[in-house]
Amino acid sequence: MSKYFINIFFIIIVSLPLSSQNQEKTNSNDSLVGFNQKYGIRVGFDLSRLGRTIFDSYYNGFEINADYRISKRLYIAGELGFENKETDSDYLNSKASGSYFKAGVDFNLYNNWVGMENLIISGFRIGVSSFNQDRQEYKIYDAYNQTWGEVQNQENLEFSGLASSWIELLFGVKTEIINNLFLSFNVQLKVRLTETNPNNFENIFIPGFGRTYDSTKIGTGINYSISYLIPIFKKKSVINSN
Amino acid sequence: MRYTLLFYLFLSLVCCEPDDICSQSTQTTPRLVIDFYDIENLSDKKSVAGLFAIGINEQGDEINIIGESVETRDRIELPLDGNNSESHFKLYKNYNIVDGIIQGNPDIISVNYNTESIYVSRACGYKNNYSINDLNINNDIDLWIVFSDVIINQVENENIAHVQIFH
Repeated sequence: MSKYFINIFFIIIVSLPLSSQNQEKTNSNDSLVGFNQKYGIRVGFDLSRLGRTIFDSYYNGFEINADYRISKRLYIAGELGFENKETDSDYLNSKASGSYFKAGVDFNLYNNWVGMENLIISGFRIGVSSFNQDRQEYKIYDAYNQTWGEVQNQENLEFSGLASSWIELLFGVKTEIINNLFLSFNVQLKVRLTETNPNNFENIFIPGFGRTYDSTKIGTGINYSISYLIPIFKKKSVINSN
Repeated sequence: MRYTLLFYLFLSLVCCEPDDICSQSTQTTPRLVIDFYDIENLSDKKSVAGLFAIGINEQGDEINIIGESVETRDRIELPLDGNNSESHFKLYKNYNIVDGIIQGNPDIISVNYNTESIYVSRACGYKNNYSINDLNINNDIDLWIVFSDVIINQVENENIAHVQIFH
């Protein structure tokens, strides 16, 4: 059910900048328009991680992100954050905590109308994470355990100095809501490249990468951020509009 | 609206719920598998009439083995006690209950082993594997088991028998 809500949400997000653009188009009938192009470094933080920290007692996390404009099409971007996540299932309880760094580029796919600074971006990142994992307790999986009773181990075992790296493909939007303040949303598809495997255990959650899956090296993520553009450069542009 | 289509593509990847349930086909904690052979012809299997197994705990109380029933067969699977390094079983031949009285010939076997917890997956967690040190037949006046032989020490799966019992 939630799938459909997310779908609707996406359509709204995508159609918002498009519909405002259409209005703009009908209004602009001057032959020459001058406007200020501002750019520089945009810094912000992830609201979704903050929200999850508040509402999910098994999770703690924070992420700051930044991007810098190279050209109208190309931005270099990066994220820095930390995450703690406890994973509790019937047979296993573990906790991962650590920090991560991601760096890469964003490509702007969107041609703004005069004076607007919205972006539809597609980009990629290389991510690295350094983390610890605690195996807090486990129960032996035994289909015939009713005979002798369950076997439990509640001895905490820490696996420290773990590391992982991955690549990430992302797709999203950035919208200027008020002057220089941006709200952005993106979804990420990740492929794990390397990881230190703990002895007789596995990485259940990797900070920055997210949860892992038994069958694949693929992971997913979302980001919902608020950011502020520090306008270092201002360029007066003149464009010819029809 | 090609972006919307791309979003749908993404969503189809993001929205799939992973299967976090341990699959039945996954080899988790194995049971001890015993095959019964003919004492007169050591290479031939021989069924035990009315075979029935009961567990005996440390206090000497009888424990019902889940899924165990009286059946004439030449193979039995016994779950080992993962909390101990020893399990005891009463193996009945010709098990029968007549007027509330148990009939048949019980022989007690004791299995001594080391236990190792091995990680399986996030859904299944850990399983136990056992390494059998020895298997003894407790002496009684009327043994139907003649002798036993541990052929595979490592109990890692239930595909082949770990122990042969001759009778």
